[in-house]
Amino acid sequence: MKIKSFFSTISMCATAFLCATALGVQTAHAALYVTIVQGLGGEPRFDENFHEQTQTIAEASASLTEADNIFLFSGEDAARDNLLSHFTALAELMNDDDRAVIYLVGHGSYDGRDYKFNIPGLDITTEDLLNIMDSLPGQNHFLLNTSSTSGALLEPLANEDRILVTATRSGNEQNATYFGEYFVAALSSEDADLNKNNNISIEEAFSFAQRQVEEFFESQGQLATEHAELSGEGAAQFTLARINPLTVSTENPRLAELQEQSLDIDREIESLQLRRGELSNQVYIEQLQELILQSARINEEIDQLNSE
Amino acid sequence: MNTIWHNFNFRLALLLAGSLLLFTSKVQAREHLLGALDNEVLLNCENLYWSGAKAEANNCYLTIIGTINPPEIQAEAMWALGDLYSADELLEQAAQSSPENAMILVRTGELYKRTYQYQDAYNFFSQALELEPNNAWAHIGAAEVLSLGNTGQNGEAINAHLEAVQSYFASAPGARLRAMVMSINSRMEQDLFEQAHELLDEAWELVADEDLPRMQLNALEAALAILERRVDEVQPYIDAALAEAPVYGDAYAIPARFATNIRRYAESGELYQQAVVIEPEHWTAHLALGQNYLRLNLIDAGIRHVEIAYEGDGFNPSALNMMRLLDTFSEKFIDLTYPNPPQGDGIPELVLRLDRDEADVLKVYAQELAEASMATFEERYNFPAKEPVIVEIFPNHEDFVVRSIGMPGVGILGVTFGYLFAMDSPTGHPDETYHWGTTLWHEMAHVYTLEASEHGVPRWYSEGISVYEEWNTGPIPGIKIPAYVLQFMAEGAFLPVAKLDDGFMRPTYDEQVIVSYMQAGLIFQFISEEYGHDKIVDMLYQFVDGTDEVTAIETALEISESDFDRHFKQYIDIQFGPLLGNLGIWQQDLRATMQAYEAENWVETIAAAERAIFTYPEYVEPDSPYIAKALAHAQLEQDDLKFETLETFWRLGGYSARALKELADEYIARAQPAEAIAVFRDIHYVDPFDEDTHGKLGDIYFDQGQPEAALQEYLVGLALNPLDQAAANYRVAAAYQALDEPTQAMDYLMTALDIAPQYRPAQQLLLNLSRSETDIQN
Repeated sequence: MKIKSFFSTISMCATAFLCATALGVQTAHAALYVTIVQGLGGEPRFDENFHEQTQTIAEASASLTEADNIFLFSGEDAARDNLLSHFTALAELMNDDDRAVIYLVGHGSYDGRDYKFNIPGLDITTEDLLNIMDSLPGQNHFLLNTSSTSGALLEPLANEDRILVTATRSGNEQNATYFGEYFVAALSSEDADLNKNNNISIEEAFSFAQRQVEEFFESQGQLATEHAELSGEGAAQFTLARINPLTVSTENPRLAELQEQSLDIDREIESLQLRRGELSNQVYIEQLQELILQSARINEEIDQLNSE
Repeated sequence: MNTIWHNFNFRLALLLAGSLLLFTSKVQAREHLLGALDNEVLLNCENLYWSGAKAEANNCYLTIIGTINPPEIQAEAMWALGDLYSADELLEQAAQSSPENAMILVRTGELYKRTYQYQDAYNFFSQALELEPNNAWAHIGAAEVLSLGNTGQNGEAINAHLEAVQSYFASAPGARLRAMVMSINSRMEQDLFEQAHELLDEAWELVADEDLPRMQLNALEAALAILERRVDEVQPYIDAALAEAPVYGDAYAIPARFATNIRRYAESGELYQQAVVIEPEHWTAHLALGQNYLRLNLIDAGIRHVEIAYEGDGFNPSALNMMRLLDTFSEKFIDLTYPNPPQGDGIPELVLRLDRDEADVLKVYAQELAEASMATFEERYNFPAKEPVIVEIFPNHEDFVVRSIGMPGVGILGVTFGYLFAMDSPTGHPDETYHWGTTLWHEMAHVYTLEASEHGVPRWYSEGISVYEEWNTGPIPGIKIPAYVLQFMAEGAFLPVAKLDDGFMRPTYDEQVIVSYMQAGLIFQFISEEYGHDKIVDMLYQFVDGTDEVTAIETALEISESDFDRHFKQYIDIQFGPLLGNLGIWQQDLRATMQAYEAENWVETIAAAERAIFTYPEYVEPDSPYIAKALAHAQLEQDDLKFETLETFWRLGGYSARALKELADEYIARAQPAEAIAVFRDIHYVDPFDEDTHGKLGDIYFDQGQPEAALQEYLVGLALNPLDQAAANYRVAAAYQALDEPTQAMDYLMTALDIAPQYRPAQQLLLNLSRSETDIQN
């Protein structure tokens, strides 16, 4: 099944630069493809839970990419053959600048050698996932697996060109996990937006969910039965969702100009932060302060115009 | 025969120790043989040692090793020279050659005892007794290792072995003496001084009749003199012991041990210091001296002696535990002194010794409580602290226990040594039932009762005052008695006042220590209500002169001991009679509340909880019916009733952090900031590591125009390493700005903005600060 429409207009991606920045991509033409797989729940409560999570992911992804680029598989549609066909087609569709995000929401199993993600019929195996990830053009693709034992994937799938998040740190953590729920919640939570830029990055969602899992087990007075893992570079720069989408004004030219200026300053700040190691702390702080002051003044004027 | 060194670590340690001794060959102190062996060559060496001729003794033992002697005698020489591994091998060899020789098994058992392997030692003594059922040396060895490896379950077996020694007509006199010494020790530890005197008299007759060494009895006499406050008689007994055996470190170490038992740590330390001067290889004395120094806050000296003890005797598990603790101590703990900056002569009044990872959180509240409690107790007990009070808070419970008593695995929360006390941090108890603020208050009361009485206060008296102060002046006032203690009260389990120390020191059932705490607290509640608090203080000062509790009560209250017990019982009947009479019904209602709650029957939960509350409204322990009732109201969306229930729970001294957090949020929602502040402050004393609580409390203070208090909470919140670092730094910056400290404000603000450049509130604050600066420049 392919998701048709959650939000027909994707407001932020109309400004190509921010989308590109958010994805860590330096081209305006890069596309983001999101594949969401809802695995077997086994029990109604899990089915319901997984369904809610996949729907939320789809909605959150819609804040960032076109609805046609979001693919949601559940029930019988999530059969292995169907999924493999989808990824074959996706690999053909994508180019080197594009990025893929794959969410696997469900249960997993690990027999000491092989990990499997549980779907109707034959399960998706470690080898399948490895082939899928290898087949995708370009680099920096992201795979989230919320299942128990998903940590078994870390070693076989590890590759500096991809980012992996698993709900467990190994195949030995076999209890049903809580991590996925919190990770998904992070995609639409202001609390997870740690750098207050209205984007939820992989790193932010991971940190948020990891902390929530810790607090959950602590509040229950139990030892944690799951320890999520993140591997790969660029998780802080890879945006998964946007909260409080900014609408660029088309009616007020001054407002539009200010918004463009604001975006320019954001880019300068990002550039300055990347060069931090080259500067003394004092120089860095002075330059950062100056840029943020400019941004603050612009934002103040934007607020004023918006309130008029 | 099984090999002794089945434990790899012990074997490794022994190999190292053995290798070392082949080169150094230095004679070590052992227990006196008291006639257990009769080899003349060996006894000659032993006599040389005890007479103080250590160098000659050393050569004497080396001669035994270097000449042809039976393996069991060579083993003794190796043992005396500290090569325990070789001693074991030789004893094993001897046992193989002479499988019917019980004394070889006995001596092997003694060697195991020396290496703290009590169960194995007991097995060897048992094997010896299979060969010779009346072997008194095997019986006394078995009794001693059962006592040393005490699990509290061995009383009957110990007595059976002691009885076997004393009743068998042909028991060796030396074994009889050891049995008597063991009994004397036991009586002294139970404060049964008259019996100890009687047994000592018998022992003196024995040593006179059999011409046995007297040094141990003199050391015990010195110890008894300490226990009975016959201060002038201590040294003459010690001198007498040393006149007989100049190298006998136990002449000092035995009285030192008993001085520690009655918490006279300074006196004990001085005695142990003398013990290691007399006998530098007395490793257990070094360890005890090190522990004493640590209790007296002489940290460097303490560490030095613990290290000596460990290097000298790596087998001692207490030494190993202390070494591990000291690693933690030196690497992880920091001292914070108050007042800060110092005033007057610069000597601090309070030192908080905290784990550096949690110091930034605990220091604020620990200082607040410690200073408040010191001021309270100074006034209530007419005693100003004469030295800085040191508060150590351990995040790791086992570290705390090792620091307190040397061995892990004991369920205590705090221990006071004098001006220094140690306690568990709330991080050591994540179950939310640990109110660390109350523990601090309780231990601080001990500081004052111990020091005001010059360490003369009986255990029950000090504990009772601490509990009484918890209830009357502590952070959550109100008499709090666990449900199971009420059951014991209903069954009449309280002890006569003269026997109350037994409930702490020699409990006869699992719950008796806690039952005794409650009884002691209630005794002071009774005295305070019937006679006035001043009488409690009057009695406390009587202990300075060594007055016993019965005399103190009779003098201060002008009432006999029996009348006191009778009146106290009447007081309990009046105060708790109705409750105790309905205890079964109350317990039934409490159970019904929990059952209904688990069955999610909210209406019945509320009804049962209300019945339980009607019978015992003050019950606010973790299983309090108020909590279940509030949760049930929440399920039924009865917000006002939930709020009222939680408020009542809190006002009665309930301290469940989760319940209090709910209540604080309710107060915020109902625009009652003063109450919300009070609740949040109470939460800190049970769960200070919740960043959300500090943020909310800081916000209330900020909104109330109290930026200093807000800053304190925001800084604690930041110290908890919150996920949202930008917001946490921004809050601190805002508080600094409100306090007109722009430099500090800018530091935290730029940290926030470095994390989140587009964080709008922080941007706005930057603009404000920038404009303020511009205004000043203009």
